[in-house]
Amino acid sequence: MFNLSLQELLQHLINGLTLGAIYALIALGYTMVYGILKFINFAHGEILMVGTFISLAVYNVLCSTATSGMMIIVFFIISIIIAMISSGLLGVVIEKIAYKPLRNASRLAPLLSAIGVSIILTNLAQIIFGTKDQRFAYPYNNDPFNLFGISITPTHILTIIVSLFLMVILKFFIDKTKLGKAMRATSENKRIAALMGINVDFIVSLTFAIGSSLAAVAGILYALDYKAKSTMGLLIGLKAFIAAVIGGIGNITGAMLGGLLLGLLETIGFRLFEILVVSIYSIFGKSITGIPLGLKHMVAFSMLILILLIKPSGILGKNVREKV
Amino acid sequence: MKRLSVFFLIIIAIILFSCGEKTINIGFIGPLTGDAANYGKLMTQAIKIAVEEKNEAGGIDGIKIKFIPMDSEGKSDKANLAIEKLASVDKVWGIVGAVFSGTSLSIAPKCETAKIVMISPSATHKALTSKGKFIFRNVLSDELQAIVFAKYVFNEMGLRRIAVLHIKNDYSQGLAEDFKKVFENEGGVITIVESAVQDDNDFKTQLTKIKQTDSEALFIPNYISEIAQILEQAKQLDINLKMLSADGFTNPEIFKLAGNLANGIVFSGPPNEKTGVNNLKEEFENKYFKKWGEKPDSFSLNSYDGAKILIDAVEKAYYDLNEKDRSKLKINRDIIQKYVANTKGYKGVSGNISFLDNGDALKNVGISISENKDYKQLGVYKIENNNLVKVE
Amino acid sequence: MLNLLIIVLIYICLFCILSLSLNLIAGYTGLLSLCHASFMSIGAYTTAIIMTKFNADFLLVLLLSGILASFFGIIIGLPTLRLKGDYLAIATLGFGEIVVNIIINWESLTRGARGIHDIPTAKIFNYRLMPKDAGILSKVIYFLLILIFLVLTYAFISKIIKSRFGRALEAIREDEIAAVSMGINITKYKVFSFAIGAFFAGIAGSLFSIYFLSISPGNFTFNISIMILCIVVLGGMGNNFASILGALIVVPAYYIPQLLNIPFIPPQFNQIIFGLILVLMMIFRPQGLLGRKKPDFERIIKRKSFFIRSR
Repeated sequence: MFNLSLQELLQHLINGLTLGAIYALIALGYTMVYGILKFINFAHGEILMVGTFISLAVYNVLCSTATSGMMIIVFFIISIIIAMISSGLLGVVIEKIAYKPLRNASRLAPLLSAIGVSIILTNLAQIIFGTKDQRFAYPYNNDPFNLFGISITPTHILTIIVSLFLMVILKFFIDKTKLGKAMRATSENKRIAALMGINVDFIVSLTFAIGSSLAAVAGILYALDYKAKSTMGLLIGLKAFIAAVIGGIGNITGAMLGGLLLGLLETIGFRLFEILVVSIYSIFGKSITGIPLGLKHMVAFSMLILILLIKPSGILGKNVREKV
Repeated sequence: MKRLSVFFLIIIAIILFSCGEKTINIGFIGPLTGDAANYGKLMTQAIKIAVEEKNEAGGIDGIKIKFIPMDSEGKSDKANLAIEKLASVDKVWGIVGAVFSGTSLSIAPKCETAKIVMISPSATHKALTSKGKFIFRNVLSDELQAIVFAKYVFNEMGLRRIAVLHIKNDYSQGLAEDFKKVFENEGGVITIVESAVQDDNDFKTQLTKIKQTDSEALFIPNYISEIAQILEQAKQLDINLKMLSADGFTNPEIFKLAGNLANGIVFSGPPNEKTGVNNLKEEFENKYFKKWGEKPDSFSLNSYDGAKILIDAVEKAYYDLNEKDRSKLKINRDIIQKYVANTKGYKGVSGNISFLDNGDALKNVGISISENKDYKQLGVYKIENNNLVKVE
Repeated sequence: MLNLLIIVLIYICLFCILSLSLNLIAGYTGLLSLCHASFMSIGAYTTAIIMTKFNADFLLVLLLSGILASFFGIIIGLPTLRLKGDYLAIATLGFGEIVVNIIINWESLTRGARGIHDIPTAKIFNYRLMPKDAGILSKVIYFLLILIFLVLTYAFISKIIKSRFGRALEAIREDEIAAVSMGINITKYKVFSFAIGAFFAGIAGSLFSIYFLSISPGNFTFNISIMILCIVVLGGMGNNFASILGALIVVPAYYIPQLLNIPFIPPQFNQIIFGLILVLMMIFRPQGLLGRKKPDFERIIKRKSFFIRSR
């Protein structure tokens, strides 16, 4: 294991990029909501989960009538769109019911409310969709093809392309359209944006809708490779949030960067770390075969603490001085 | 206020009403909510069949068996509360449970002091049955399962270089460690042991490392969630190793999760032992499927057998009583324990079961292979004088 | 029946100790900590590991567990000094996950995911306790033991709060910059707050170990940290007495519904109720049931008697 072949390295790279793309999509939702409301939507992962299950249900029902591969792909796209719409709606509804009344309360209240929502959604999903893992069948043949000795599957490519596409659209929307400008203004300063005639409530709802629908897509891409489960939102939600913090919370590009970075660190980064540890041990004459790879989750949390110590505003975040 | 008091009166009435009828109570403790909820669900479904069968046949002398499942969420604090309730309120005569080793170990002392026979259908931790004479398990301990499989794989399949990928949990880790011990003892080489933690579903880093070793096979003694992921990701990484697994693989849901990737896997699990003309295991699986719409896994089979052994023991102990004691249901718990402990060659759906002196189950091991999204048994084996012996 | 009641009381007491100690960190000092269960786990594992290896007197082990947990409190307190609100919360969450991850993977010390299940019963002044299942009397003894430590915890934390120390903490919670300009050494007080809060969480963990005699990483998850936080918030942050009240409400609400075994209700139901309580409490009464001040019993009595007189 000391000799890391270039192939293995590249394989980890591909793995990391796809994972990172998913984290990035989910992180966008967190970062946008935080940018405007200065609030962490703990239930974001669960909204993602619900969207994924809805899409899976629609997809399975439609596909039972499918007669050709083309139809399956069409049904897949339809189910994604339906998931995006439902998640978006769910996000807006949750905001109106559980967060809006708390907008002026202490910082703690919406956080706890979000935790409550997350518990409710996870258990409701268990009652409605069941407790089993559920498979999201690939709408295409997912056999990997070999490129210079590394395996790449169509899903890898789909994930990266779709994420990139959505991120580019989002960036364009935020930077170049009027609504996007309104969103930026609201996240700069809510009060002044309202005074300028921006309907803050609408912008908030829009933010939740966009963030949630992007997360639904991420959830579906995730479920293709990793199955759908009622508890799927928890861990990836948390990691994606950490990615947003690392990249710079409130910053769209930061979320994308953070997501990608985290994905890479958890795969190739951790593997390199393992090699480092093995080498250090061998310098002292002890030989170990490796370190438990279950520790790779620590990467996210360690990175989080590190970035909060060094630069809490994140890699691309601005240093905000606290006014007295 | 009035509506509230009416509500409470109704609740009290329900409780009192259900208290009125005389029943023989059997309990279950396991995860009915949380991450592992599906396991608890499958197992309670099996036990419900056992209880229904007995009640349809007239119960025990006309008295109905009442099944009381309690949710532990897989946690020992809830499990302790559950066993307390089953012991003091429901006065159960025995329980099937708990599901995980951790919770089983923590409720075992209570079962021992309350003289409640405890038969765990899935806890494989070595130390469990040593907690008392009332503690049994109807699943092969890690050691017993691993020793048969490791010898089979070495001698019958001729494999010499195997990689291992396990999860750090109750179930998988013990199996992996014992398998490694025996396999290396036989003379084989374990090329690498990789691990992940519970709830992990990305094994690509581990698999990429495994790909670099030159192994002949990969041993994945995990639950089907993880197995499905591993199979999928192994394919994506273009890994073509022979796959080996254990009784966790016997949940037919794996074919829904992994499709054809789940074919061709050799694994150890409950044996399909022909008993005369009938095939008990198949019959039960069909009955289960008809009632619940899904097939049972090996732990459900163990639960069913455990429940039946329990009910039979209670029945025998009941008939040992005189008329007066019978009407008062003063069954002797030590006698129940005796009958359970004396179980020898019980023909169950999970194989022929005999309990050893320490409460462990002695069962033969079925080695099977998955084919066409179904299971096919290759043979039934056991250990005699430290040698692998095929059972005919 | 009595058995069940005592067990629930024991759980309530343990959660009381945990919520009182979290209240010190989160309620009084305003540091939102989501890793309280990790401090508990350190206390629990220290006790378990030491007791399975040595035949030490329990009180000594208890003290050591608290000190070690306190040490970890300092470790998390120091780096997070500059962080505010949500950021601090997430940092503590990360810390909590790291601790669990280390426990699971450092098998030579903690036996990993399988946990430690052969903890011997506690020995106090050369008198060895019986295991909790030996009979109802032994349960009562454990209850009294834990109750004693609850009272000690309450007394100690009350004392701190009423002193200058406590007022400094509240000053930090209200307005850090103002506190600094008043000459309060924020670093010292924040770290102390974490240290003391973690100490008592470690005590609770240690008591957990000798009561259950069986621990595993699954006993100290993020969900437990959330539950402790719920208790603090529901009762009222920054109100010592309220933490006890909170525990008296939340703990039975969490454990009892499953015991009633009402048919046709899926077991996920009581988790949903739990989540609903959180959301509804936040919307309708975010300051908690008792708010910040302790109920002024004198005034309430005066009010009632006034009402009676004026009739």
